[in-house]
Amino acid sequence: MKEHCSHQADCLKMIQLILDGEATEQQLARLKANLVSCQPCIQMYHLEKEVKELLTKRMEKKCCPDQLVERIKTKILTFS
Amino acid sequence: MSDTPTRDDQDRTGAPDHGMPDGPDQLLPDGDPVEQPSADTPARRYTDEQKYQVFNKEFMPHIDSMYNFAFRLTTDEDDANDLVQDTYLKAFRFISSFEQGTNAKAWLFRILKNSFINDYRKKSKEPAKVDYQDVETTYNSEDAESEHTVDLRAESVSDLIGDEVATALNSLPVDFRTVIILCDIEGFTYEEMAKILDIPIGTVRSRLHRARNLLKEKLRDYASSMGYKEESEE
Ligand SMILES: [Zn+2]
Repeated sequence: MKEHCSHQADCLKMIQLILDGEATEQQLARLKANLVSCQPCIQMYHLEKEVKELLTKRMEKKCCPDQLVERIKTKILTFS
Repeated sequence: MSDTPTRDDQDRTGAPDHGMPDGPDQLLPDGDPVEQPSADTPARRYTDEQKYQVFNKEFMPHIDSMYNFAFRLTTDEDDANDLVQDTYLKAFRFISSFEQGTNAKAWLFRILKNSFINDYRKKSKEPAKVDYQDVETTYNSEDAESEHTVDLRAESVSDLIGDEVATALNSLPVDFRTVIILCDIEGFTYEEMAKILDIPIGTVRSRLHRARNLLKEKLRDYASSMGYKEESEE
């Protein structure tokens, strides 16, 4: 297991592409290899995944106020 | 108070350079608009009935996402209300440049983001009116290879709650905040983001990368202020 990653910055970019679903097969294969052999890559992967999940799952999602919905619907009726 | 329909839309939508959201040529047509000779994109001819149908079926379902986007950009409920309303009224006025069955959400987000830049950003009380170009130039000028990684462990952030993440996100310059919202919260692809933001995909990628580094720095400050143990500072 590698304790130091010599191309950490590139690995980080690759990890983000993968978590964003934007990576190539090649990049995916490379990450898989790194995840069994490179300690810094494993840590970066877990951190990036955790941060992304915080954003996707833990942020409050508001509902658009009903009044606003009604107001928009009313206003477009007077258009055309 | 914000529900009194007194505001004069003509004033707002007719403001400076935008009689249109951006000119129909720039609005997301089907397929790959970057490849398309934009001027050739024909305007759809909808009957009034069809217009309302498209509006209700394709635009209205995104109103919660739009409201959240507006709120995260403006960080103010009244502004978010106005911004969403402006956006939907513009979308209706220029509905002929929307092609049914194409990506309505991206189309709407793009109008909202342009309205925000044109009408709200100037008056927004964002403390450090960061000039985006400056920030981006500064960040991009760093040698990519020597770029630092933020010293933070997954376990330190796993206990953060939504409010803390939201505060950290809000403290980022708006352009960085925007890419994170679009990608991580709304799940747009890089290609869609490029269209919404009118920037190349490469810029989406690098901006997102910077944004996440900044966000992690904020989260690290949070985590350490809450007493999580950190590895030695860089
Ligand atoms: Zn590595």
